[in-house]
Amino acid sequence: MNLEEYKGVYVFAQQVDNVVSGIAYELIGKGKELAKDLGTEVTAVLIGSDVKGLADDLAAYGADKVIVVDDPELKEYRTEPYAHALASVIEKYKPEIMLVGATAIGRDLGPRVSARVHTGLTADCTQLEIGDFPLNPVPGQEQKHNQLLMTRPAFGGNTIATIACPNFRPQMATVRPGVMQKLPKVEGAKAVVEEFNPGFTPDNKYVEILDIVKSVVDTVDIMDAKILVSGGRGVGSPENFKLLDDLAEAIGGTVSCSRAVVDAGWKPKDLQVGQTGKTVRPNVYFAIGISGAIQHLAGMEESDLIIAINKDETAPIFDVADYGIVGDLNKIVPLLTQQIKAVKAQNK
Amino acid sequence: MDFTLSKEHEMARTLFRDFAEKEVKPLAQEVDETEEFPRGTVEKMAKLGFLGIPIPKEYGGQGCDPLTYAMCVEELSKVCGTTGVIVSAHTSLCCDPILTYGTEEQKQKYLVPLAKGEKLGAFGLTEPGAGTDAQGQQTKAVLDGDEWVLNGSKIFITNGKEADVYVIFAVTGVTEDKKGRKKKMISAFIVEKGTPGFSFGTKEKKMGIRGSSTYELIFTDCRIPKENLLGAEGKGFGIAMHTLDGGRIGIAAQALGLAEGALENTIAYVKERKQFGRAIGAFQNTQFQIADMATKVEAAQLLVYKAAMAKATQKVYSVEAAKAKLYAAEVAMEVTTKAVQLHGGYGYTREYDVERMMRDAKITEIYEGTSEVQRMVISGALLK
Repeated sequence: MNLEEYKGVYVFAQQVDNVVSGIAYELIGKGKELAKDLGTEVTAVLIGSDVKGLADDLAAYGADKVIVVDDPELKEYRTEPYAHALASVIEKYKPEIMLVGATAIGRDLGPRVSARVHTGLTADCTQLEIGDFPLNPVPGQEQKHNQLLMTRPAFGGNTIATIACPNFRPQMATVRPGVMQKLPKVEGAKAVVEEFNPGFTPDNKYVEILDIVKSVVDTVDIMDAKILVSGGRGVGSPENFKLLDDLAEAIGGTVSCSRAVVDAGWKPKDLQVGQTGKTVRPNVYFAIGISGAIQHLAGMEESDLIIAINKDETAPIFDVADYGIVGDLNKIVPLLTQQIKAVKAQNK
Repeated sequence: MDFTLSKEHEMARTLFRDFAEKEVKPLAQEVDETEEFPRGTVEKMAKLGFLGIPIPKEYGGQGCDPLTYAMCVEELSKVCGTTGVIVSAHTSLCCDPILTYGTEEQKQKYLVPLAKGEKLGAFGLTEPGAGTDAQGQQTKAVLDGDEWVLNGSKIFITNGKEADVYVIFAVTGVTEDKKGRKKKMISAFIVEKGTPGFSFGTKEKKMGIRGSSTYELIFTDCRIPKENLLGAEGKGFGIAMHTLDGGRIGIAAQALGLAEGALENTIAYVKERKQFGRAIGAFQNTQFQIADMATKVEAAQLLVYKAAMAKATQKVYSVEAAKAKLYAAEVAMEVTTKAVQLHGGYGYTREYDVERMMRDAKITEIYEGTSEVQRMVISGALLK
């Protein structure tokens, strides 16, 4: 493999139902940074059926070039035709870096393509940078420059691994959604489009999609929720939980509660966090009006980020909270909801 | 040194035993099954003066000594552990601190109706984060004009929701000790049921003493008059500890009663039950088990009575109370467990009383200071 032939940062621009997924813009944003360090450009790879119209959007968020693979076989995501499309793009254009969003689609597609083009893939990265490999020179080993250093949590987030792929190209990574920042949209940008179709011959590897179900989940199991907005007795009444419902809706979270709330009959038992309820490990845990007795802490102290709101500054919940606000939740929670909505509206 | 009870004590014991047999025993199983507080029994006990035994007559009590009171809890607990602890919590944990630390006004207002049994008492010290480490209190009391404002909660409160008068502990400030370490100042308060801001939370579902009403107390901006401070401000921890010393005699008496009840039931059972053509009491294993049980029960009884006498005759009786509670509770656990064994399969059914006694016994090793706390108190005094 002649590594010198490989140039450019490529991102897979995932679309579903001819709508570009947010992760595509995030990857372009990150790709721009990496490309700048390497003195190269960002190319988006758009795969689908009748998707040419989406190319300008990709340009508006910073893609220097868009390669469109457009074919009726690519109408819905299926492993085989998509892997064929992306692997063919890689073989023809020889990118140095290929980024894929770590969505359900990306986690399926990335490993297939990396095996097909015989290169390394790091999954679910949370940090990407250009640097030297090995990080510190090792006697007797050549230190290579301008490598993609891919960092990802491993063992359930208990260790952080930085991985490089020095001997094969492209350097492939799937990237966790929501970690990278998209660039501000440039209105009216026009994409430099290159169409490419490697040809599709359906065979027995092609999956037949019978039905696509889009379910609207009313109640998320609190153990699966990434963000929990948890209320205690301090919320005051079942009606007042509306404040928490609003916050949960704004931030894409789920409402849970302490035992006191269940005992008072405000919420069902399956929302209870704690020793006699459920043990949860969300990315973010809001403890609102919860004093933080050990029986409750035992059920949530493994959360990645704990944010406490309580009027009593000596409440034990503050011992485990990463961020805390001492004050009246009736004032703080609506303000917080408002601010989150405002920020989300800006990023739309 | 005299180990014979006085005539008065014997008469009192007969009264307690008759009441227990006639009024308490027939309800014991139902109270356990339904987990319902035996309100009717409490009203009958009030009429007979059982709720003010060691309180002086001028405050509406019976003016008896602590030993008479301990025997009452013992006799009730022989047939029903629930009824025993209702009397114990009311007398030792609510009446006693008001008698010891209350002002004359507080005694007239609260102690008199409590001692007469017109009102029931309870004691609120434990919190989710402050069990054995009672200093870890979070409940706060702040003086606002001529009222104290309480905020916080208490858990596992015996007689909760049923009691009218509560002795509650709360943090009223922070001081620094000689080494510059921060220490919470705790004060005691008298709070009445029905005060706005004072409500009840969870009712605990317990393994034993299931008719005893064990509740969470919740204080949300609960305002009580300034004069409901019990004792001096900041002296609450000492008040709590002194109160628990007395309470431990009550629990030791409850444990003793449970052990005695289980032993009596077992002796009767092994005389009747036949296997291999003779009563199981004729087998040497049974005989030796019964001998061990009876010996331990008597040793426990002497420790409990000694502690009760110490409370009557001396100022400090912490160690005697701790030894009595530690030993009586562990004997109760052991004797009730053996009682179930000697009853065989029948002992494991709820038709017989011994399984209930075994479930009731376990709590005596835990509440009003765990067995480990009693060992801390005893060894602390020995290794000064």
